[in-house]
Amino acid sequence: MEVLKSAFDFSDFPKIDLCVAGAVGAFLLVFPALPHSGFTMATMIQFLMFSVYGMGWNTIGGYGGQVDLGKAQYVGIGAYTTAVMMIRWDVPFWVSMPIGMALAVGWSFMIGYPLFRLRGHYFAIATIATSLILKDVFESWSFVGAARGLKIPIKGEMPNFLFLQFRQDYYYYYIILAFFFIGLFYLNWFRHSRIGHQLRCIKDSEDVAQSLGIDAHWAKIKAYATATAFVAAVGSFHACYNFNIEPEDVMGLDLSVLIALMAMLGGAGSLFGPIIGAAILVPMKSFLGAWLGARAGLIGLDLIIYSTIIMAIAAFEPRGIWGLITRLRQARRN
Amino acid sequence: MALLDVKGLGMRFGGLEANWDISFQVEAGELVGLIGPNGAGKSTLFNCIAGMHSPTVGNIFFRGQNVTGYRAYEMARLGLARTFQVYVATGDLNVLENVMVGAFMRTSSLVKARTKAEGILENMNLASLAQERVANLPVAAQKRVVMATALATDPELLLLDEVAAGLNPTEMDDMIRMIRWVHGQLHVTVMVVEHVMELVMKLSHRVLVVESGRLIAEGEPSDIVRRPEVIKAYLGERYVTEQLGEE
Repeated sequence: MEVLKSAFDFSDFPKIDLCVAGAVGAFLLVFPALPHSGFTMATMIQFLMFSVYGMGWNTIGGYGGQVDLGKAQYVGIGAYTTAVMMIRWDVPFWVSMPIGMALAVGWSFMIGYPLFRLRGHYFAIATIATSLILKDVFESWSFVGAARGLKIPIKGEMPNFLFLQFRQDYYYYYIILAFFFIGLFYLNWFRHSRIGHQLRCIKDSEDVAQSLGIDAHWAKIKAYATATAFVAAVGSFHACYNFNIEPEDVMGLDLSVLIALMAMLGGAGSLFGPIIGAAILVPMKSFLGAWLGARAGLIGLDLIIYSTIIMAIAAFEPRGIWGLITRLRQARRN
Repeated sequence: MALLDVKGLGMRFGGLEANWDISFQVEAGELVGLIGPNGAGKSTLFNCIAGMHSPTVGNIFFRGQNVTGYRAYEMARLGLARTFQVYVATGDLNVLENVMVGAFMRTSSLVKARTKAEGILENMNLASLAQERVANLPVAAQKRVVMATALATDPELLLLDEVAAGLNPTEMDDMIRMIRWVHGQLHVTVMVVEHVMELVMKLSHRVLVVESGRLIAEGEPSDIVRRPEVIKAYLGERYVTEQLGEE
């Protein structure tokens, strides 16, 4: 009961924020009924997916302050679990998704236990390494289709809610929108909760946290597992939505960096930060992708833009856009 | 049975013996001071007791339990709270949330943790600052917040590290009153590590003096200041021979 109450308790935000959030929420609910192109719909689905990735990343990377650049490996585990189980054993999405999440969380404990002995940059580098190693394994493992990846065949009539196979994109849209709202309310609970407070204390000072009875190592592992569950669930969805997965797409370094970048741009350690970040970067990415696709000479420009953003955040406002908003508000109040 | 019982404790960092053969006891309800010149090994001793270092030799007993080599968070859960000499609050936790982190050690309920934290802030005259960020507060208020956070863990023994550093005389008096209140009203056993003699002398029932990693004296404050070995530790051998003559 108390958990539910705190999940829906947004009272610490100013009224104006809640109005904006309510308007955005209403827009998201009615968006498919508004006139839109297929490209816009695809971009919106991407935006929702990356918002949920970012929310997951935010638990450990934002509230916990542990910059994680290896989230793609868990997207991959989720996506591959669903794809393999669908192709080989006809297991529906709603069964394979929790299994994928469980496998990813299990793997995250094995990775997290040794990795959280490292701090700061060393931790970030190690997460990149483990993610790339797992990608290499999948690229040479024939059971999961090796480098060619997997293609999920059409299973009978559409719309098929068991296997998440639809002709119209709005079905996918509403499913990922449900994930989005569940994620948002979960995170709202999380930031008020014991583990949320403890992580923010760890981010401040690990020594102080330990002196207040917090087993910092274990708290970080738990938050890492939470983040993993989020991204693995969306990974499973990604496999159904795309029908086609390859190691490079679902486990690549690009994806890991994008997840972290969106959360950091919007504001690491804030509730709405990852959503703001995704709302800016996903359309930019789609647009750049479409535009650069026609101009072979400009390949790599998107990476230049991303790295510029990273440098700008690091130099000017480590708390991202949300930090900027907070700062402006404080300046106006004083 | 003593609340804290340190037996033959030694701590070596490479070739440096920071602590050697230190034994003492703290009874429940005492207010003990730990003093010594710079680099005497006070902080190391403190950190060993609080579980931040694992001592090289010797044993520590807390509430009758052998806690040698316990981690800091395990010590905290057993009822030993500590504050830090330098508290750097850079994060986004406000005063109330800070104290709640302490309260969350004994409960997982948000409502209970908040109620408890608010009660403590009320008692320590911090209620008006509840929504401020700790980093924005003056030093004296920061120290009170740190103490409030430590108290939120319901400790039996509170270790205060250099709690008077950076305070002016008025703030120092407030701090002394606060420590007395914690000791008298909350029935918490207190141990203070301090450079500032004034605070230790006013507060403590008993003083331990550490010099060059060893415990050189132990006794009542008024008695301790007259001991030649203590004066020597602080003011040097020449001062003892010239000013006091051989005793």
